[in-house]
Amino acid sequence: MTDERFERVLREAAQDYHRPPATPREEMWLQIIAARDARRRRRVMLRPRLAWGVGIAAVLAVGVAIGRWTATGSPRIAAIAPATDRSSAFVYQLAAAQYLTRTEVLLTGFRSEARSSQADAQFARQARDLLGTTRLMLDSPAAQDGRLKGLLEDLELVLAQIAQLPPRGDTAEVQLINQGLEQRSVLLRLRTANPAGPGPVRTQGAL
Amino acid sequence: MDERELIARVRAGDGAAERTLYDAHVDRVYRLAYRLAGDDGLAREFTQDTFVRAFERLASFRGEAKLSTWLHAIATSVVLNGLRKVKRFRRRETDLEDAAGVAGGRRAAEPDLKRRLAQAIDDLPHGYRTVFVMHDVEGYTHEEIGATLGVETGTSKAQLSRARARLREALADFAGEWVS
Repeated sequence: MTDERFERVLREAAQDYHRPPATPREEMWLQIIAARDARRRRRVMLRPRLAWGVGIAAVLAVGVAIGRWTATGSPRIAAIAPATDRSSAFVYQLAAAQYLTRTEVLLTGFRSEARSSQADAQFARQARDLLGTTRLMLDSPAAQDGRLKGLLEDLELVLAQIAQLPPRGDTAEVQLINQGLEQRSVLLRLRTANPAGPGPVRTQGAL
Repeated sequence: MDERELIARVRAGDGAAERTLYDAHVDRVYRLAYRLAGDDGLAREFTQDTFVRAFERLASFRGEAKLSTWLHAIATSVVLNGLRKVKRFRRRETDLEDAAGVAGGRRAAEPDLKRRLAQAIDDLPHGYRTVFVMHDVEGYTHEEIGATLGVETGTSKAQLSRARARLREALADFAGEWVS
């Protein structure tokens, strides 16, 4: 048996390997247009949320700075401490409310998209943004509340899982995340901790 | 319209140019996706994903390679990553079925060269199978395969040679078919 003959037989026989049908050009083109439109719409929707993320991080940073500044204990600072304590507490409350609202929006969106198997890279990106804020929240006086601290720790885990999802999602991983959300009642606890409605409305004019 | 002009028009948001680019390349992309996936649904999904990504990233195409090479590099990356996920998922499903004791036994190999060949190609390692399908089934040159997969031409040749050797081994029972 010669190599040449073998290769010829192989090539001929291999033509039937997964022989493709006619290309479904029109159907695929329509799907491509629809997918691109959906991506465009999602990008437009997400842009303001990203801006809120930056805002929350900034507010937290101000809060942490005020906290550290008031902790130095010089006489001049001691004199103004009651006022700064109040503003510091307000800043933390505000940041916590905004953070919890954004996280609630993300997790609610993630769960509903996951049902239709469309959890995608946008969620992973948002989760990464929120992870940083979660760490700041855990290090802030807001985490002195035991219940909030527990919730923040659970959120940190869930956000880390979503952040590590590959693009286009992994169905089994998405199911595991959803199971975790349900078993630990994360969304319910999140809504209980942040019951007063959407952050942007609640905090309008506060700053 | 030459390729450079077409790309410029697509970048400028010309819908007709997008369709022209799609029409020029979709057959080859779909055929390759189908050959590698062996499933119409997956092949469509991979092809669509390839073009969605290509249109999004066209701004970053610097023209160092031919557009078709660049497009096929996206396509093979989409297909191979997609197949890895599908394989992982199917493996989990199979494990579950095995655990439940409901899985049927493997069908006995059919005494038919093409069926055995298909099975042998499926069993090739990823890299060998990709090169074999691209070269021996779809007729890509080693230069095209190298540029698409980001490997040296020599690597493509070596992988094809190893793939053929494995297939020859797997099809030893059928030696009579090609012995003259």
